[in-house]
Amino acid sequence: MNLFHAIYAATVFVVAYALITTERFNKTMVALAGATLMFFLPVVNSHEVFYSEDTGIDWDVIFLLLGMMIIVSVVRQTGVFEYIAIWAAKRSKGSPLRIMILLILVTAVGSAFLDNVTTVLLIAPVTLLVCERLAVSSAPFLIGEAFAANIGGAATLVGDPTSIIIGTGAHLSFISFITNMGPAVLMVLAVLLLLLPRLFPGAFNVDPERVADVMALDESEAISDRKLLIQCGVVLLVVFAGFVAHKEIHMEPSLVAMAGAGILVLISGLDREFYLSSVEWETLLFFAGLFIMVGALVRTGVINNLAHAASHATRGNEWVTVMLILGVSFLFSGFVNNVPYAATMTPIVGQFIPTIHGHASSDVLWWALILGTVLGGNLTAVGASANVVVVGIAQRSGSPVSFWDFTKRGAVVTAISFVISLGYLWVRYFVLT
Amino acid sequence: MRAEDLDEKFPVVKIDSDALDAVRLLAEHRLNGLVVVTDTSEAPYAVLPASQVVRFIVPGYVLDDPGLASVMTESMADHAAEKLKGRTIRDMLPKQRQHIPVAKADDTIIEVAEVMARLRSPLVAVVKDGRLHGVITASRLLAAALKE
Repeated sequence: MNLFHAIYAATVFVVAYALITTERFNKTMVALAGATLMFFLPVVNSHEVFYSEDTGIDWDVIFLLLGMMIIVSVVRQTGVFEYIAIWAAKRSKGSPLRIMILLILVTAVGSAFLDNVTTVLLIAPVTLLVCERLAVSSAPFLIGEAFAANIGGAATLVGDPTSIIIGTGAHLSFISFITNMGPAVLMVLAVLLLLLPRLFPGAFNVDPERVADVMALDESEAISDRKLLIQCGVVLLVVFAGFVAHKEIHMEPSLVAMAGAGILVLISGLDREFYLSSVEWETLLFFAGLFIMVGALVRTGVINNLAHAASHATRGNEWVTVMLILGVSFLFSGFVNNVPYAATMTPIVGQFIPTIHGHASSDVLWWALILGTVLGGNLTAVGASANVVVVGIAQRSGSPVSFWDFTKRGAVVTAISFVISLGYLWVRYFVLT
Repeated sequence: MRAEDLDEKFPVVKIDSDALDAVRLLAEHRLNGLVVVTDTSEAPYAVLPASQVVRFIVPGYVLDDPGLASVMTESMADHAAEKLKGRTIRDMLPKQRQHIPVAKADDTIIEVAEVMARLRSPLVAVVKDGRLHGVITASRLLAAALKE
């Protein structure tokens, strides 16, 4: 590989990244076109694309996503998500603030184990129903749920596509992920709940007579197939036990998810249109295209050079590096699609770690990258896919949310998330270690 | 038999008229659709099938998540038509203008049936000299076909 190859690969990548960021073109088409351009010269060959762990498609990520999408497709047929959301809304006795808090908690817990977009798509219809019954605007509730979905996504290895990319690329275990990210996520979530009355003043005034309408909702009717619910419950328990023990049982999370998906498809007896209903083939192709482009940057030495340049800038100082990664990640993820950012930064941080002086606790760089990439998505209405989805739902439901409506609140949540993340990383990995 | 021999008088509604009045018309006369016209033209602007109107009384969140239909109580469901208050026929039509199920006065039964089948419309508007001449419903068409 010579300098020309590196310049060619970097140019293709930067143009593709810019086109993806503008969102004026189909991001999958752009990623695949960029990947195809990497085959010329050639920058990468088929062996490097399909079989290399360093430069190829990360099949663990693709199949972990596919497995979780199939599992979600089957589980959503049971109606359990609607049951939990309505049950939670009724436990709040009709208080809009308590309803928002409980729906946010349901969303955060859901998105820790499911894809963020899937979680908000499941919770939003129930939110609209409850808000219509209470005759309050659904916009504050939907915005709060988008925040919660993004925050919850940072808690586990399977909570967010970026968590999957970084966690898998860094070979982080499920347990290690949740024990290191969980406390930070809980702190950010707790502060978000405390901030709700200030973030959405006037959103919680409701006519007491409307409360009876919410209490009259019958959540038990939401469960459409009890046998399938029990089957899903058992398989989900096995799958999450598999995630927790994947190092001990020598099975990557991707295989655990695919095995769980296969078992669910087999025992549920559902038709293909149901068990594939939540599978986003375009997203999987988008990821494949991204991995090929990033692999070409690794192959041509661009990633290595970037890692060395960053190392030179921080002089190998771990704390400075953590601040740099966290700050840049928060900022980038707030404005551009954080999936390509995570795909690019994972090999950079991977090559960066050996340059850190005494890198005994160098996993802290991964935690900084995850917190910045996932939590930074709350900054603007286009910072994360979940935000874009809720803005669309709010528009269709007659409670439009403008870019500024979202961003002025997102900026507050993101600023607080940044401070909490920085403090958490400093105390846990520099003061207490 | 030609379309103009087969068509019959049918209620016509203006595009900016009240949606609830149109629903009452559909309900009282047990119609399976309405022909929509504008203030400026006597030619049909659109055909609004009753099934499209029915879709409008279903809340958007239930269309997104059909499972929620069952958690709503009977009293909530009984007030479903209230969603149409303050809306017009225009609100109930698709945002992008669709093909209008229209036949010429001298079209045969097969030509009318082809339009009805292709556009999946319960009725076809018959136009003569640029003006609405009448309407042929699916049941009227089938009855005529059996006679022949």
